[in-house]
Amino acid sequence: MSARERILARVRAATRQVAPAPGTFVPGSRRSDFATFAELVVAAGGEAHGPFDAGSLVSHVADRCRTWSGGARVLATDAALALLGAGPWQPVSAEADPHSLADVSVAILCGAFGVAENGAVGLDGREARPRALPVLCERLILLLDTRTLVPDMHAALARLADGALAHHHFTFVAGPSKTADIEGELVLGAHGPRELAVFGIGV
Amino acid sequence: MSSALDQLALELLPTGPRLRGHDAAVFALREKRDVAGRAEPDFERLRDHAQAAKVHALDHLDANLERFEARATEAGAVVHWAEDALALNRIVHALLDARGARRVVKSKSMLSEECGLNPYLETRGIEVVDTDLGERIVQLGHEPPSHIIMPAIHRTREDIGALFARELDVPAGETDPARLTEAARRHLRAHFLGADAAITGANFAVAESGTIVVVTNEGNADLGMSLPKLHIACLGIEKVIPGLADLAVFLRLLARSATGQPISVYTSLVTGPRPGAELHIVLVDNGRTRLLADDAHRRALGCIRCGACLNTCPVYRRAGGHAYGWAIPGPIGAVLAPALGGTDAQRSLPLASTLCGSCTAVCPIKIDLHEQLISWRATAVPRGRRERMLAWIAAAVMARPALYRAAGRFARWLWPALSRRWPGNPASPWLEARALPPHPGASFRTRWRARTRAEARWRANAHGGRP
Repeated sequence: MSARERILARVRAATRQVAPAPGTFVPGSRRSDFATFAELVVAAGGEAHGPFDAGSLVSHVADRCRTWSGGARVLATDAALALLGAGPWQPVSAEADPHSLADVSVAILCGAFGVAENGAVGLDGREARPRALPVLCERLILLLDTRTLVPDMHAALARLADGALAHHHFTFVAGPSKTADIEGELVLGAHGPRELAVFGIGV
Repeated sequence: MSSALDQLALELLPTGPRLRGHDAAVFALREKRDVAGRAEPDFERLRDHAQAAKVHALDHLDANLERFEARATEAGAVVHWAEDALALNRIVHALLDARGARRVVKSKSMLSEECGLNPYLETRGIEVVDTDLGERIVQLGHEPPSHIIMPAIHRTREDIGALFARELDVPAGETDPARLTEAARRHLRAHFLGADAAITGANFAVAESGTIVVVTNEGNADLGMSLPKLHIACLGIEKVIPGLADLAVFLRLLARSATGQPISVYTSLVTGPRPGAELHIVLVDNGRTRLLADDAHRRALGCIRCGACLNTCPVYRRAGGHAYGWAIPGPIGAVLAPALGGTDAQRSLPLASTLCGSCTAVCPIKIDLHEQLISWRATAVPRGRRERMLAWIAAAVMARPALYRAAGRFARWLWPALSRRWPGNPASPWLEARALPPHPGASFRTRWRARTRAEARWRANAHGGRP
């Protein structure tokens, strides 16, 4: 017998399969508007701007890029470029060697949806490519269609059932990376981005 | 009864400002947990649901494991099974060795602490760099973590400044947490970029989609998973849950219970390898099936490692994590140690509790931790000859009222001497860190009689004055 079979045999011997299924959790109703979501982004240490219409979005994002990058490398995914057009950013190849992104100052990606209860933005594996882009960059900008907001994690994970998991990863990002490992004191900018800004799109 | 914990606690016990700092830092987390719980209207219902969902998941663990393996394999991951710590270590080493991987970045995994993965790999010439800031601090200091989610919480900023001045590029005397974190960021960035492989734990594994879920605030697991071409995830078999609907419930509880955040910064659902890379998942038993077969204690497998029971525990807050001498400290550590550990010292950890029940009150999965501690005391705690003799004497004295009263008089006579430190005082170890309270001067029976008489007089007077 292999280790697999021995472990499974022991698990089978130990499980009685008597507990009733817990059923579906029904969350209390909550708001899922951009203002509610934005409050949670700020609470997580990030910035939330907007919502903007497609026309005014570009100048706001470009301003943020210029203050943050100081002229250093800014990369935007294809989806972000489709929204922003030309600006102080360059395209990034999904197949690029992630090690070549070590000097990225600002990365701009599109979020799949936002979660109002906690300020998290869902990043689809098809969009966050190379996978390293949103964690290796010094600062992160996420563009989010405000119509995609869901109230809570129950609704968020229900949205993933239709194939969103089939692309290596789906990552929820709530605020800039942080740590409190030294005497419990909060420090923003642990290993990932030092700052994060979410720009809402739609009015 | 001098358990191993007593001995260790005496040696490692934080004192003075160090103790107050430790206590304040962990209890601050407990208070943040309370605030977050009160702010979330679903919180208590989520706890009830999570408890039922974990019981159900464990009752169907065999089906969940097989389904997880099938789905993860379909997605391109390779699933391995390890019966014990040595098997895990061998599997991981073989994977690294076959690919010539020499430099490994690792994110936090309590399982790897439990199994001694780092020393196993290091003695075989592999460099393992822990990348969680707290884990890196304790790794550089050659000591184990002292908390599940705050590994270096027993260290002050001065300790860490001195350590970084010695080990990293930091000027002597630096104590600012932001600048120390920045130094660690630069130092670890180089390790991430130069790594041949990444090892991570997993907070959950979802059977319906073959997904592993990795949660961090620092982003270290995500950097590891996205740079080298080999990712090895190690997880205990109890981490497998049926579906994404269950995951939503656990994720809403995890960060709120751990740090009071509504969600951690990074929650990564990983299904299959990155294009052009490899994902290996090692499912580890190491005593978990033994615990699963134990009706009294199987619910402890529902733990999601949030650390809430540590932050609220009066013993943990006072003694610190190192005193437990086992990978997982605090109430949950004391409940798991007898089954997953196995040395006499580990099996005596259930004694390290006041049984106040605060752990049970904050557990997001509502595991009956203090009940389990009591039940382990009856079955697992090893009893030496001295303890058996003391128990026999206590029983004999309590069965004889006259003898019991005499023993009480003797104890009151002895008390002042016991309260002072002198060579040979059997209470000396206690007095190192605590003071014995003054005794009340008379026995409980005497004081009770006096009190009832006084009450009777008061009643008689009160009624006597009325018509």
